[in-house]
Amino acid sequence: MSADQFLQYLVSGLTQGSIYALVGLGFTIIYAVTRIINFAQGEFVMLGGMLSFTLACSAGIPLAPALLLSVLIAAAIGAIMYLLAIRTARKASVISLIITTIGVAIFIRGIAGVLWGVDYVRPPFFTGDESISFLGAYIHPQALWIIGTTLVVTILLHLFLTHTMVGKALKACAINPRASGLVGINTRAMSLIAFAIAAALGGIGGVVMAPLTLTSYNVGVMLGLKGFVAASIGGFKSPVAAVIGGLMLGIVESLAVGLDWGPFTSAYKDVIALVVLLLILVIRSGRLAAEEAG
Amino acid sequence: MLAMVKGKWVYLVIAALLAFLILIPFDWFLGHYTTLMIFIGISTMVTVGLCLLMGYTGQVSLGQAAFYGLGAYFSAVLSKTYSVNPWLAMLIAAIATGAFAYVIGYPILRLRGNYLAMATLGLGLIMWILFGQLSQFTGGPDGMAGIPYLSIGGFVFDTSFKRYFLVWFFCLAILFISQNIVRSRSGRALRAIHGSEAAAESIGINVARFKVKIFVLSAVYASLAGSLFVHHLRFVSPQSFDFLASVKFVVMAVIGGLASIWGAIFGAGTTRMLSDELLLGFGEWDVVVYGAILVIVMIFMPEGLFVKLKELIGRWRLRYAERGSET
Amino acid sequence: MSESILETKGLSKAFGGLVALDKLNLAIEKGTITAIIGPNGAGKTTLFNVITGVYPASDGEILFEGTPLKDAAPHKRAALGIARTFQNVLLFGNMTVLENIMTGQHPRSHYGFLGAALRLPRAHREEETISLNAMKYLNMVGLGTFAGQNAMSLPLGQQKLLAIARALATEPRLILLDEPGAGLNTLEKRELSDLIHRIRETGISVMLVEHDMPLVMGIAEWIIVLDSGQKIAEGTAAQVQKDQRVISAYLGEEED
Repeated sequence: MSADQFLQYLVSGLTQGSIYALVGLGFTIIYAVTRIINFAQGEFVMLGGMLSFTLACSAGIPLAPALLLSVLIAAAIGAIMYLLAIRTARKASVISLIITTIGVAIFIRGIAGVLWGVDYVRPPFFTGDESISFLGAYIHPQALWIIGTTLVVTILLHLFLTHTMVGKALKACAINPRASGLVGINTRAMSLIAFAIAAALGGIGGVVMAPLTLTSYNVGVMLGLKGFVAASIGGFKSPVAAVIGGLMLGIVESLAVGLDWGPFTSAYKDVIALVVLLLILVIRSGRLAAEEAG
Repeated sequence: MLAMVKGKWVYLVIAALLAFLILIPFDWFLGHYTTLMIFIGISTMVTVGLCLLMGYTGQVSLGQAAFYGLGAYFSAVLSKTYSVNPWLAMLIAAIATGAFAYVIGYPILRLRGNYLAMATLGLGLIMWILFGQLSQFTGGPDGMAGIPYLSIGGFVFDTSFKRYFLVWFFCLAILFISQNIVRSRSGRALRAIHGSEAAAESIGINVARFKVKIFVLSAVYASLAGSLFVHHLRFVSPQSFDFLASVKFVVMAVIGGLASIWGAIFGAGTTRMLSDELLLGFGEWDVVVYGAILVIVMIFMPEGLFVKLKELIGRWRLRYAERGSET
Repeated sequence: MSESILETKGLSKAFGGLVALDKLNLAIEKGTITAIIGPNGAGKTTLFNVITGVYPASDGEILFEGTPLKDAAPHKRAALGIARTFQNVLLFGNMTVLENIMTGQHPRSHYGFLGAALRLPRAHREEETISLNAMKYLNMVGLGTFAGQNAMSLPLGQQKLLAIARALATEPRLILLDEPGAGLNTLEKRELSDLIHRIRETGISVMLVEHDMPLVMGIAEWIIVLDSGQKIAEGTAAQVQKDQRVISAYLGEEED
């Protein structure tokens, strides 16, 4: 592989990895605050993309407001998910919660399938379709938007968590829910906010990604899984590690396809992520098991 | 005196249900539903395994379709491509799938709760992708056709009518075996693991080994179901073993009651009727309904619809009996 | 000449930098009731966890009836004859009272999936034995009338008795009771003392961790005092009560 090609695959890996990073952030925030793994996380990415298509193309709303609206609607759906499905089931067993979030995930997916059908859709590019030449590689402007947005969002999130009252309250819940409740933090409100933020993150990912990769009603499952891999690299506690994990996963996938090792066609690309997932889970199983029990 | 009559009642009910079951495939009765009932029987076999795994032992699996598919593909490939006797192929499929479950069971079952769920989800997806990608064996995304029928001597299971009895024979055998296991020392061990792994270990239960055993058993059930599936449809493709297939099995288990063996029939029955009959013309609506069912059942009746109904019927009967004794 | 049912030699356990057990040398005499006491954080429950194999020892060895336990898994130790109860009870909430105890018979029964699935006669016979034995232990702790109730429906005091019955069902030679008296009222504590005596009378050696001093002084034949993972004293109730080191260890705790 030449240096040019390598750079090309690197960029494409970073692009894809940015989406995984955003999904991973969403998983991390919800888990940190509520100890729940939200199996519907990937669906918010799907919603972001689908909504931006409908609002910008079918409804004719100008692009920027359409994008913002898509993210807000995704956040709202996340909040509703918490209020209707999670809050009442909070005290339930782990199995119940898992099945509940899966139920929500396929419910959202089903509705999307009904509303938008099974075809792929493409919302408009943010700044056009002409690839930019850079050090021998061609970068699509949308890819820059994806990587840039992810960076900005990560920084904003970090600032939010460390410098605002709400952010710090969220962190407190993550560290010790009971103590937080005792000092007057409304843990239910925090859980609601966590779900809304995670959904917004997913929505943002979907909104920036859809013009480049197309989107349809069933992209949520794979994206969710890969975001889960990213989050598990961070142990579901560290947002930064989740982002790095997501980026690394994207790069590894891209290079594996690019290096053309054995049978790695693009369908096998997904298998890589899944195998990585299984390996991470199994290798860390000791620590994870102890945390789950304690 | 009353107890004796009650005892006979149970046998009468069982006999009636069996008679009902036997008569279904006849045209003059409910023959129209024979194919549906075949699928219900096959689904029940997978669901029972899932109930044992999730309901009794408390281990989540979002990837049962992987084993269902392995059974299906092993049977299909061995009996069609390599002309192996279909019964032998089915046995080899069950052993191979069981062995596979054994090997990945130990590392995977060290995980708990959410992580186990994700791992099994991942496993299911890996198998689904492989089914589609290993085209030299599996026929790729378009699948394989022309899979032979099962036969005993000269008797070929070439009509739905004949296969109905074959499937339900297996299904009832599995239900019977599972009910026996649940009521036994092993069943208590499984429930103990669900109750408290630490306490279970402290009274001599090898938790890791039991988890793997029940995982393997559920995989073998699913494999047998997959084999029967393939010898009925004579066609196999990866579509039948995607994430949604695994989710559907979870829906069946949840509706039937995670900890209810006979509830599996109820769960499989209602779910299949939903998907194959009621929602047939509605595109993706069935997914919406499954999602809604999962959420509603988990929130309001986590012990399952079937068990909840039994509870309600029991309460009604109690009220009825009280009223009867008042007169 | 008394035999030890349990011995530890140089037993140590560290969690990262924190030393929970520090080169402990203990000898538990067969057929006795031994209490392990000490201020909070002394390492008492950790000792139980290491003996039962929940945590591997960092150093040293444990001998049960003269044979080293090495790194045997918890379920193997239960089969060997070491039973325990937990501080937070840990009953099987998805079973009845009797079923909890029947499950305790697990290491003394043998039939497996195959025997169960096919309803073999051996399975049937073992089930009968299991039921009979379970009823025996149920009655021994005085919970006979609650056999069919769900285990969690019992009040705490009786749940603790159930946990003891379940441990007894494994037919142990040594039973470790972790704070059996916590949360019990005076009457229940007296019944607990009687039960522990009856257990000892059947030939089972008893070790208990307890904070309730009157309870301990009333039943323990031998007391071992731990502080910060070390044995600071041992002896009869009378001896230990007068031991200066013990007094300062507890006084030190009260000052905090």
